[in-house]
Amino acid sequence: MKKFLALILTLAMVLAACSFAVADDLPTITIMFHGSNVSDDSAVLEKVNEYIADKVGAKLEVIWGTWGDFDEKAVNVLTSGDKDVDMVFTCSWSADEYNSYAKKGYFLKLDDLIEAYGADLKAAIPESLMQAATIEGAEGKGIYAVNGFKDTATQNTWDVNVTLLNELGYTVDDLKAKGFFGWDEIFAKAKEVKGDSFYPFLVEPMVAERMVTNSIIVAGDAGSTNLLSLYLNPDDVSKDGAYGNKLLNKFATPEYKAFVDQMHKYYEAGYIDPALSVAETSNDARTNHQKDASYLIGTQSYAFGYEFSADVLARGVEVQFVPCTTPYVDTTASQGAMMAINSASEHPEESFKFLALLNSDPVLMTLMNYGVEGIHYTLNDDGLVVFNDDARATYSPWTNGMGNVTILPDTASEGAGFRKSFQEYYAGALGIPSLGFVFDNSPVENEMAALGNVAAQYALALDCGAVDPETELPAFLAALDAAGMQTYLDAANAQLDAYLAK
Amino acid sequence: MTAITPPARKKIKAGSFSLNRFSTRTQALFHVILLLFSLLCIIPFIFVIIIAFSSEDSIRQIGYSFTPISWSTDAFAYTFKLGNALWRSYLNSFLITIVGTVLSVAMTVLYAYPLYRRDYKYRKFFNFLSFFTMIFGGGLVPTYVICKSVLGLSDNYAALIVPMLFSPFNVIIMRTFLQTTVPPELIEAATIDGSGEYSTLLRIVLPVVKPGIATIALLVSLAYWNEWFLSLLYLNKNMSIMPLQYLLMRMQRNADFLAKNSSMLGADASKAAAQLPSQSLKMALVVFIVIPIACAYPFFQRYVIAGLTIGSVKG
Amino acid sequence: MTLTKAHAGSGLRRMRTSSASRKKAFWLTTMMLPGAVWLLLIRYLPMFGIVIAFKNYRAYRPNTFWNNIIQSEFVGLKNFEFLNSPDTGIMIRNTLGYNLLWIILGLVISVAFAIMMSELSSRFLAKSYQTMMFFPYFLSWVVASYFVLAFLDPTSGMIPFMQKATGQKITNFYHDTTWWPLILTICNLWKNLGYSSVLYLAAITGIDTTQYEAAAVDGASKWQQIWHVTLPGIRPMIVILLIMNIGKIFNADFGLFYNVPQNSGSLYPVTQVVDTYVYRAYANTHNLGMSSAAGFLQSAVGMLCIIGANALVRKIDPESSLF
Repeated sequence: MKKFLALILTLAMVLAACSFAVADDLPTITIMFHGSNVSDDSAVLEKVNEYIADKVGAKLEVIWGTWGDFDEKAVNVLTSGDKDVDMVFTCSWSADEYNSYAKKGYFLKLDDLIEAYGADLKAAIPESLMQAATIEGAEGKGIYAVNGFKDTATQNTWDVNVTLLNELGYTVDDLKAKGFFGWDEIFAKAKEVKGDSFYPFLVEPMVAERMVTNSIIVAGDAGSTNLLSLYLNPDDVSKDGAYGNKLLNKFATPEYKAFVDQMHKYYEAGYIDPALSVAETSNDARTNHQKDASYLIGTQSYAFGYEFSADVLARGVEVQFVPCTTPYVDTTASQGAMMAINSASEHPEESFKFLALLNSDPVLMTLMNYGVEGIHYTLNDDGLVVFNDDARATYSPWTNGMGNVTILPDTASEGAGFRKSFQEYYAGALGIPSLGFVFDNSPVENEMAALGNVAAQYALALDCGAVDPETELPAFLAALDAAGMQTYLDAANAQLDAYLAK
Repeated sequence: MTAITPPARKKIKAGSFSLNRFSTRTQALFHVILLLFSLLCIIPFIFVIIIAFSSEDSIRQIGYSFTPISWSTDAFAYTFKLGNALWRSYLNSFLITIVGTVLSVAMTVLYAYPLYRRDYKYRKFFNFLSFFTMIFGGGLVPTYVICKSVLGLSDNYAALIVPMLFSPFNVIIMRTFLQTTVPPELIEAATIDGSGEYSTLLRIVLPVVKPGIATIALLVSLAYWNEWFLSLLYLNKNMSIMPLQYLLMRMQRNADFLAKNSSMLGADASKAAAQLPSQSLKMALVVFIVIPIACAYPFFQRYVIAGLTIGSVKG
Repeated sequence: MTLTKAHAGSGLRRMRTSSASRKKAFWLTTMMLPGAVWLLLIRYLPMFGIVIAFKNYRAYRPNTFWNNIIQSEFVGLKNFEFLNSPDTGIMIRNTLGYNLLWIILGLVISVAFAIMMSELSSRFLAKSYQTMMFFPYFLSWVVASYFVLAFLDPTSGMIPFMQKATGQKITNFYHDTTWWPLILTICNLWKNLGYSSVLYLAAITGIDTTQYEAAAVDGASKWQQIWHVTLPGIRPMIVILLIMNIGKIFNADFGLFYNVPQNSGSLYPVTQVVDTYVYRAYANTHNLGMSSAAGFLQSAVGMLCIIGANALVRKIDPESSLF
């Protein structure tokens, strides 16, 4: 027994000695990404650590958060003051929401670090994105995260199955001319030709609502179902819309009433799949119909180059995305993907240096995003990236969640010059008049909790046309009033007025 | 039964028990009721198997159906292509379940036995100590902080085992089993014979409460086998120790997340959704998860049924 | 016989018993240690976190959990104000109503199933039923919800399909609250009966067989034996499970109320429970204080109910009480 114990002890000591010998003096910094699909990062991290050893002075470790577990993990890490995670993804729509988490002190204010080490970063990221990240946080006004340069404008489009449309004897111009309120005839024709179980109108109900009423998402509003709206000017997004710069209860406007009345007509006529009207089945149904191209007109929130992406090409029909407005920059889109430094981190300087390098250095960005040349991809004769599908299956991070995507090389499937046009497209997008406004909902959190539940009860079914607006809409509005909608609106409008007055 | 048989339990003469059965008609009624309910329980699993073998086209066109348009083994082919990741997570699940169950059952029995002893003077205190945590807890984040920073439960097997080693619910169940099956005279007799506390527990009590222990072991192993949330919390970098259930739940949660946030993520969500594994693959994994534990079930059942036959030969 | 002798004897006996009982207490206490240490570390140590329910938790410098808790502002009952909503009545009614119904139904049916299984003469069939009844326990609510969908889906579901075939008006189940109390009840029983009846079955197997003999000798019929022997024999188990279920009366099985109705808004009047309400509220506010408050409230209500139920049991049958 004693011998056995001694053996174990010796072993443990040898192991401990080994691990000391391996560790070098560089500190380890850890970054947590969102939306990753990575099961083997060893080859990449080896190269990355070689590359950043001198430039950053640290070793990198990565937590590859996935779509499904990032929110829970990030909230847990941040609220528990876990010093082992130095950098973490944040944005206007994730659970560690940028504005509120910065306000609650979870993120480090970066202004001093930018001053000291951020010259390259400032050159690589447009000034407008820096501004979009400048907010009132726990340590005063400043930048609390490095804002990634990606599709920073919003553009909602009608996703048209042109092949089928032409088969029915119509063109895209006919669609545009008739408009949302005049598609009965086309849908009827589609139903007649394709049979009773074919549903021509494939809406994402909440998106369709925004497209038809020209309303936009207000940053800081209830995330699951938006309650507030600002109205765009569809002819020039940088000008005031029909209601000026005033926040409204989006469900109480005549535009909303007209929209849900029309949707109800379409639904009753059998043009909309009932599965779309139920929260948990809605998106599965939409994805399935899109994959099958079993639709005529759909909705799609668009990003530049989306028509060339694999999932659109796989539909096997000609697809055209018909925009409602020019792309517009609002607060939500301009805070779409950012990387913050945890205020519990013990290595803020190294972490910032890494983030600055990641967003300004094409070599590092390409390595982190596309992997190692020769393993995860090769360059073809034109110098375009061709992915090695097998290796890429074990290493595909979420490109837009990582940082500045405009410094990535072009891929063969996107074509030469893609990143340049991408950059120009979004650089040309106009900001809405209230760009930068974020509603601080903390004074009315309880109202928001109640209102969010009320909206979740009624909004989707109404937006999809599944229930009769004559009875349900008044019930909805009454329930919103009872849950404190007016208090919520007043708080939001007071903040917006104060913001615009500055 | 092993060495010591409870004194009260006598063998019954064969033949005498037939007097005391329900009539054939009543038994038939029992069979019908139990059979109907059992079918209700098993059909959803058959449904899962059907989905796992349905072709993607069929699922897209008519949804989940007992009668798919076309069949396919793609999902299983894909599952096997997951290769190492699948087998490793399978192995992890077995390891975690077996180690966790053994330790947990031992702790439960050791904790429940003194609580059952009416002559143990601290039983009230320890009973409350355990029971109180069934109702009140510190919450997710404080527990995470303690487990990770104080106990070092992070990215290791211990993190997937220790946080659920002990369950006050199971302690109470075990205590109740002891109360109903072990007569206090049995303990007294052993004490008078000079048996030590541990040897009384091991040699006299354990054999009698085997059905209870088998039941607790079943509940614990199921809990470990189905567990995935601990992996979500405590596994960050060392994904090689991920159990199978988490592999499945990750797929499920990825799909759910993209569905809920598609209007925020726009084209990114559509692209990501297109990469997601198919529904039939998820169902194939469900099959992989259910099969082993369903096979292990009769093993636990042997003890319950062994006890049952004694119970049913009841004079 | 003298007084002194008698005294000496009893004194000696007392000494011997007390040393024996101390020794006994010592060994029995060592048995409790692993569990007690675990409880202290994993359950009691984090309990300081309960204070978050009464604080406006946020990060301070230095950002460590302890420091944040200490420095966060005390806000009294403000985190509980989310309960002041028009939905509160509905969610409390649903939570308590479903729980009460299911506790009673679950108890009656699972005891009945356990007795039936214990009385079957075919061991093989009894085994098979029991195995099959456990299957729902392996399937998550998400998977179960697909199964329900296969019946109810307005386009391809079996029931609407049959309605269509027979010329009836199609029921859009996911927008029609009528059937959901029934559907949820069936789902709940489906999922939990196997689990609880195995507990009762194991309890029945522990009943001393001589009691049946004695009853038979007295000429008791099988039904009478069940009434006078089996049910009293498993009464401790029934009571304990009952008390523990009553302690969870303010908690609801989230997946059942969220996934099975596919989170359909139109069904909230019959599916909104405390857990789903808090989940949806948290999804918007991400307020740690609010979710801690909700958890604390559920615990407090559970504690009160358990103490009440236990006191009642102690009066009637002290042997079976929980503590």
